[in-house]
Amino acid sequence: MNTLRPSVLQPFRRISSARTYACARPFSLSVRQQDDFARPERTEYSKPIPSSPNFYTTRAAFYDQLTQLEKAIGRSEAYLRNQHLLPLPDFARASLPPLQPVWKDQIEMGLEFRTKMTTTRYRKITKLLNQLNDFQRIAKTGGCPELEDKLGSILELYESSKKEALLSRGKRKPVVLDEYGRSYTLGKRKTSSARVWMIPVQVAPKNDTPESLLGVLSPTYPVTTTTILVNNLPLNQFFPLPADRERVTRPLKVAGALGKYNVYAIVRGGGTTGQSGALGHGIAKGIVAHDPELEAMFRRAKLTRRDPRMVERKKTGLAKARKRYAWVKR
Amino acid sequence: MKKGVEKQNKSRQKLPIFKPLPLPTNADQKHPLLTANKAPMHAPAFKTTAILDESAVGRPFIIHARENDPNRAFGLPRNLWLEFRLLSKPYTVVREITQDVAKLLESAQEKSSSNTRVVFTGRPGCGKSFLLFQAVEQCLQQKWIVVYVPRAVDLVNSTTSYAYDIRTQTYLQPWYSYQTLLRMLTVNKDLLKNILLREDLVLEKSTLPKGTPLTIVIETALAEKQRSVAQAPLYLDAVMKTLEGQNQYPVLLAIDDMQTLYGKTAYRDPQFLPIQSYHLSLPRMLLEYASGKRSFHKGAVLGAISASRTSHPIPLELRDALDLHTEEYPIASPYDKRNKSLVEYADGLKAMPVPEKLTLEEAVGVFEVWKGQRVFGRSNFFYDEAFMGKYTESGGNARDFVWKGLLATLDA
Repeated sequence: MNTLRPSVLQPFRRISSARTYACARPFSLSVRQQDDFARPERTEYSKPIPSSPNFYTTRAAFYDQLTQLEKAIGRSEAYLRNQHLLPLPDFARASLPPLQPVWKDQIEMGLEFRTKMTTTRYRKITKLLNQLNDFQRIAKTGGCPELEDKLGSILELYESSKKEALLSRGKRKPVVLDEYGRSYTLGKRKTSSARVWMIPVQVAPKNDTPESLLGVLSPTYPVTTTTILVNNLPLNQFFPLPADRERVTRPLKVAGALGKYNVYAIVRGGGTTGQSGALGHGIAKGIVAHDPELEAMFRRAKLTRRDPRMVERKKTGLAKARKRYAWVKR
Repeated sequence: MKKGVEKQNKSRQKLPIFKPLPLPTNADQKHPLLTANKAPMHAPAFKTTAILDESAVGRPFIIHARENDPNRAFGLPRNLWLEFRLLSKPYTVVREITQDVAKLLESAQEKSSSNTRVVFTGRPGCGKSFLLFQAVEQCLQQKWIVVYVPRAVDLVNSTTSYAYDIRTQTYLQPWYSYQTLLRMLTVNKDLLKNILLREDLVLEKSTLPKGTPLTIVIETALAEKQRSVAQAPLYLDAVMKTLEGQNQYPVLLAIDDMQTLYGKTAYRDPQFLPIQSYHLSLPRMLLEYASGKRSFHKGAVLGAISASRTSHPIPLELRDALDLHTEEYPIASPYDKRNKSLVEYADGLKAMPVPEKLTLEEAVGVFEVWKGQRVFGRSNFFYDEAFMGKYTESGGNARDFVWKGLLATLDA
């Protein structure tokens, strides 16, 4: 009983591309009709047998698929029950690894089924698919590779071609250091944006003394400094306000990385506050790229977060976003 | 009417200096609230031998007050004055360029001042005025005669009286000349008494014979203030001519805000046209020494431009002479009009670029001074991080490091 019978899941096939309308008749029919008129004596002949049992539903393709899915669900459920993997207690179900499905959308599915895919029909299909997906998760965790493969081959027919893009949406692209160890990151604040290149300061240790050459003393490292160039100007020339400058160096201070990197940045758009904020954001992302261990700390300090605050809109009936017009008696 | 006058006088009254009350005898002397705010920091005295040492770079030195303090007699540029007011004592940090200037002055000691005419250039806040002040201090210690003009802008901004003189066809500045004489006497008294007047000084009602010591000459000018103010330019001219001729002592002429002398002044002639600086007696004298038309037998002329004075941008003639045509200045075309007289007055000046950045050890010295004053920080304060942060933020610029870094921060 524990073996997967070949008949559990019949080979799942796609619908043939021939058009099967309920009203469609073979072209030869009309020829026969012509013959009928030509021949004086009419003979009784049977109706052609419909290609699908769902022929008279007018949506044979859709209901065929639906039936097959239901069958697959029924069979795999039976199989899993046999394997004692169903019913699954709640705690076990909760601990299943996630298997995020992205089904074809309503329009794509409509083309596939050659039916007008209403929301109700689409929901019917996706409900079944989700069920199958759950079974696949159980099969995967429960150690039924055969069933898993078969379910996988069924489900992949319904999966969206844009699955990867949709799943990676909203996730940050990992920053890749180039051959010289430079990072390139983008920072934003208000309407400003900053392109930031960062490179670790490279200093050779002082190995002049004979003790250090012999390895008796550990080599001494000179204190290095960070140089920040903004639009080709030193930081102090580009930002005259101390508050702006401190905003730029804050991530370096939090990371304790003052003197570790040299920074080159190009900032565009907005004012000084926005530009310095954008630069700080870009530097924070750059530090994380160089030192991934700081990722959690920077996230908690909200340094790598893009500040979503923007200018509040003006409202009708008000002078500005919040300012009210003066009250006038007449 | 009277009331108004009284009010005006009241507002003019100086605020009294804060003096802390004596502590009660049973008070805990060591309580942080009762101790003086500014702890005196121990630093070696600013001496030429000490600052020329290799280890002196980046170390703070203290300038001890003397009777003939140049900063009391001549005054100081505004930024330096304010800084010394905030510090408990005038501290100064030796930089590599300080040593370079010391060596330059050493070599200039035996040469004519026309051979050593140097102007300190550099971006705003890089330490030009401080360097000039250090040079003045060094020269005084080495028995030079020092004439220091800390704010040359005061010579041209129409703040003192002026009068046309037919004989020289220039506008004399009697009050400023009088003040200059007074200051020269205060600072260089010991040396001036050994120098004798070279020619007879013919005045309105009297004549000072040649061979009179310069101290007597200046004291005579000071004695009859009412009358001698008008004749002060004559006195000054005689004194300067004598200084030119003597070769007992080298003479240092130090001019801050030097670029203000090259251009039109705020003084107006009877037609209300701006007077050229070389038609005013004092700026003309300084320009003549700067251009080498007049020179001291032994000595040097040092100048510093003040790049942050927006009312007086550096004129084209001076920029040509000092070769200041970097991207921080507006582009100068060879077809732009230049004043020929000013081109002559700027001729032969040499630029000495002051480094844009403090080196790390120099910055450490500056940091130590302000840390010693407790202007920032608290217990368990991360001084290393504050230092590196402020150094990075200021890009190594000295003024930004102190004024927009250490003194402006809310970190500590």
